[in-house]
Amino acid sequence: MFYLGIDIGSLSCDAVLIDHEEAILATAVVPTGARNLEAIARVTENVLHKTGIPKKDVKGIVSTGYGRERVQERIGAVTEITCHARGIAALKPEARVLIDIGGQDSKAILLDAEQKVMDFAMNDKCAAGTGRFLEAMARALQVDIDEMANLDLGAQGGLTISSMCTVFAESEVVSLIADGKPVNEIVQGLNRAIATRTLALVKRIVANPAGLPVAMSGGVAHNAGVVRAISAALGGVAVLVPPQPDTVGALGAALIAKEKCESFRG
Amino acid sequence: MTMDNHKTIGYACAYTPLALIHATGFRPYRILPNLDCPDQAGRLLHDNLCPHVKRILDRAMSKQLPDLAGMVFMNSCDAMRRLADAWRVVCPDMATICVDLPTTTSEKDIPVFESELKKLAGTLGDWYGRPLQPENLMESLRLYNELANAFERMRSRVQQGVMRNGAVLLQEAYLQAACTEPQAMLSRLKMLLTEKDQEQKSDMIPMYLFGNVLPDLEAFALFEASGARIVAEDLCTGSRAFAEVKMDFKKPGEMLAAYAKGLLQRQPCARTLCEAQPGKMAEDIVAAARRHQARGVIGYTVKFCDPYIARMPGIRAALKQEGIPFLLLEGDCTVRTMGQQKTRIEAFTEMLR
Amino acid sequence: MMKEYFDSLESGLQSAIAQGKGSPRKTYSLELARLGQRLYSGEHKVAWCGIAAPYDLLNAMEVTSCFVEFIGAMLASTGIVGDFIEATEQIGYSSDSCSYHRAVSGAAMKGLMPKPEFLIGTTCPCSGGLAVIEHLAAHFEKQLFVLHIPQNESREEVRHLAEQMRAMTSFVSKITGVPLDPDKLKSAIGKTNRTREIITQVYALARQVPSPINSKELSNFGIVMALFLGTDAGVTIAETYLEELQKRTQSMGSNPAKEKIRLLWVQNRIQFKNPIENLLEQEYGAKIVIDELNDITWDPIDNGDIYEGLARRSISIPFNGSIQKRITHLQKLAQDYRIDGAINPCNWGCRQGTGARGMIEEGFKAVGIPVLNLEVDCVDPRKFTEGQVKTRIEAFLEMVESRK
Repeated sequence: MFYLGIDIGSLSCDAVLIDHEEAILATAVVPTGARNLEAIARVTENVLHKTGIPKKDVKGIVSTGYGRERVQERIGAVTEITCHARGIAALKPEARVLIDIGGQDSKAILLDAEQKVMDFAMNDKCAAGTGRFLEAMARALQVDIDEMANLDLGAQGGLTISSMCTVFAESEVVSLIADGKPVNEIVQGLNRAIATRTLALVKRIVANPAGLPVAMSGGVAHNAGVVRAISAALGGVAVLVPPQPDTVGALGAALIAKEKCESFRG
Repeated sequence: MTMDNHKTIGYACAYTPLALIHATGFRPYRILPNLDCPDQAGRLLHDNLCPHVKRILDRAMSKQLPDLAGMVFMNSCDAMRRLADAWRVVCPDMATICVDLPTTTSEKDIPVFESELKKLAGTLGDWYGRPLQPENLMESLRLYNELANAFERMRSRVQQGVMRNGAVLLQEAYLQAACTEPQAMLSRLKMLLTEKDQEQKSDMIPMYLFGNVLPDLEAFALFEASGARIVAEDLCTGSRAFAEVKMDFKKPGEMLAAYAKGLLQRQPCARTLCEAQPGKMAEDIVAAARRHQARGVIGYTVKFCDPYIARMPGIRAALKQEGIPFLLLEGDCTVRTMGQQKTRIEAFTEMLR
Repeated sequence: MMKEYFDSLESGLQSAIAQGKGSPRKTYSLELARLGQRLYSGEHKVAWCGIAAPYDLLNAMEVTSCFVEFIGAMLASTGIVGDFIEATEQIGYSSDSCSYHRAVSGAAMKGLMPKPEFLIGTTCPCSGGLAVIEHLAAHFEKQLFVLHIPQNESREEVRHLAEQMRAMTSFVSKITGVPLDPDKLKSAIGKTNRTREIITQVYALARQVPSPINSKELSNFGIVMALFLGTDAGVTIAETYLEELQKRTQSMGSNPAKEKIRLLWVQNRIQFKNPIENLLEQEYGAKIVIDELNDITWDPIDNGDIYEGLARRSISIPFNGSIQKRITHLQKLAQDYRIDGAINPCNWGCRQGTGARGMIEEGFKAVGIPVLNLEVDCVDPRKFTEGQVKTRIEAFLEMVESRK
């Protein structure tokens, strides 16, 4: 028996298929694009195709993310906060603070010893410090978003990006380039700006995060430079990043699907 | 928009002395920020100003107002003061008054507010109202307190969860009452109160809601759909607008002072403070949440509200200390903002399950 | 840390003045440093107040009193304000609010605000400022008194405020254990009136074309001088300015060529180091000749009726009451000082100062004065983008120049 979790985010649509022993059989990530129904169909098809499992054997689908109500065959829709918490519990059970930076929002989630959500905080309406912010900055720097992940290396670290508004920061980056500032310094400045914002979010849920194991999920966790900056902002704590940070929410959804099916039966 | 009754006075703040306006022969009519008008007020004021005030001014700028004999503003906060100022530019031919409102509620503040109420009564007379008579004021006060009591009965049914779609119906009634003759509203409420009880839903999570302006019915539907039962609320478009004014006086000559005191000492909004107990608002919220056995507290404020912004850290800390989970939502008085809050509300109820 | 800062500031300024390198601004800064020393000495009775409090009355009662925004401005000028503002963001203080007030709350959180004996809140100029005073009262667990500043100067409203100020006097005496000495009050009011008279002359000189002052000399002057009312320091500062400006006026003759553009600055200046004033003067021959708050809007205080005089003064602050009153005052300054343009910093998060941006702009335009809305945060340098601000100022000055 199999369970499917689908996370429909603003930038990407992710799916995770697990079996009755909670083993991950397949994951898939596709861009959400303008039509999320198509993305849902594609990402579902993708994981089923990879495993060769027929759709009828999938006992339950739980959806999450901002498009969670668009999944017609779901047995439940759960917010990404609960799903990320559930997902990280399976991957990094020691984590007590989870930072999730996705396409258009960022969250800090406080977990208790059983990885249940105790508190959470989300960013303001604007995209500052999120995946979209980084995409805009990569565009301004004319570098590939993946390439940006290690561009901070070797920077001396004196440069501060003052604006966190995506629009203003973009023009600030453009003027820094015009001033001849090295790209690695600019990238590190951006990473630090994101880390400062993230630290403020974390402090809203726990005044003193020292000593609490921190994990990170969401697409931005792929960016090693941002992870380094967040680690430094947290006072040098090692930030735990699961191998596929962008599918943590979908994994959580799949795990919740399994729980729901079992509780229906029992 | 035209109305048959020309004796209508507009208002915008929950501190407005409705009974006094009514006693001088007018119908108080709240200009609510819930009409979809083009966003223009930022040009006259500033974009970073209270959206409640901006939306109200947008209505005036788009001529989306009923026929008003005048507009009564309260000097309750910087944003309201600016609304009164801008109104005079947008509606230069309309009679307006800005009633000063003390920020504290101690004995020294009562005479200040009393003389402002006197001034208001005089001004309403200039706007062709009838002179303020103690017996008329008494009668209007009785009517508004009766309305407040009817609302109280309705609140308690919503709190018990025995009213179908209760939170939405209650909010709808508040909005109607803000723009309706109190007598007519009273009959309407009495009818609503005769409806049969429905069965309680058992899996709803009791929550206490506080904040400022939330006239959006969709918001209350969303709370319910997300599994949150609002067991009590303290909002300026909710219970605070129709709470009983407690009066204590012996001679008719003391009535206005007693009214001033009663109004000032009602459930406060964040702009009012207690000198003897700084930071009392946080304690009040904790106490209300406990009293109503809420498992969580939701704060809702419109953006750029300095009085709430400054109190939020204290409120957050007090709730944390008491172990009461807290969710803060921010809105801008547009129809679409609540949808964006959906994830937060749902996650909050999921967290409490 | 703050005590050391003010000690070294004070001794530095004092030795500069002793070596004959004095200036009116140095005398002013010296007294500010001394105020800072008293606030942080741990020996003086301190009160944190709102801007419209009667400082001469508090000075007469020997209480070192100061408005909280002073701390925000000082942290900004020393360049360390960012950490304090960040600290408030972490406890859930929205970044949509005034940076003066967030800096103050952050300073209190980090133990950098001296503990007061009591607090006096004022409802003018802003709701946010009063909320911060309340927050500090809760934080320090100290008693709070709030002065409700009425909107108009009617007899009844003046009487109400005078009553409140009398009640405030009893409140202060009760806490300090020292009753108000009527002779001390009279003497303080004498100094207030003397300071007022000299400052009136200083402003009259500053109004001249060309003006004998430069863009920086009178920045923040009007609002800060309120703190020194009723003291010898206030009289000394005012006298130093008057002597210097008289000297300059005599030696200057009339040489209008140096002064191409005369500007008015709305509300308060930017408190952290920034290149604006230098840019104005050096590259454009433009000069800020008047700040909105550098004006005497009140009559001398009559010894027979001190409280009513103090009440009238608090009500007369241009920030109090309707925006129309404020605009009329700005228009009067524009005409008196014959300005060519106005700069409104539109301090981010200031609902009082910036909330009527559009109406203020209309008010200036009605008397033919162009306005630049700068849209900056006057306290938080992290939000300051020099390039953008420069471009806006340059474009504005080009426009003003072309209209002349």
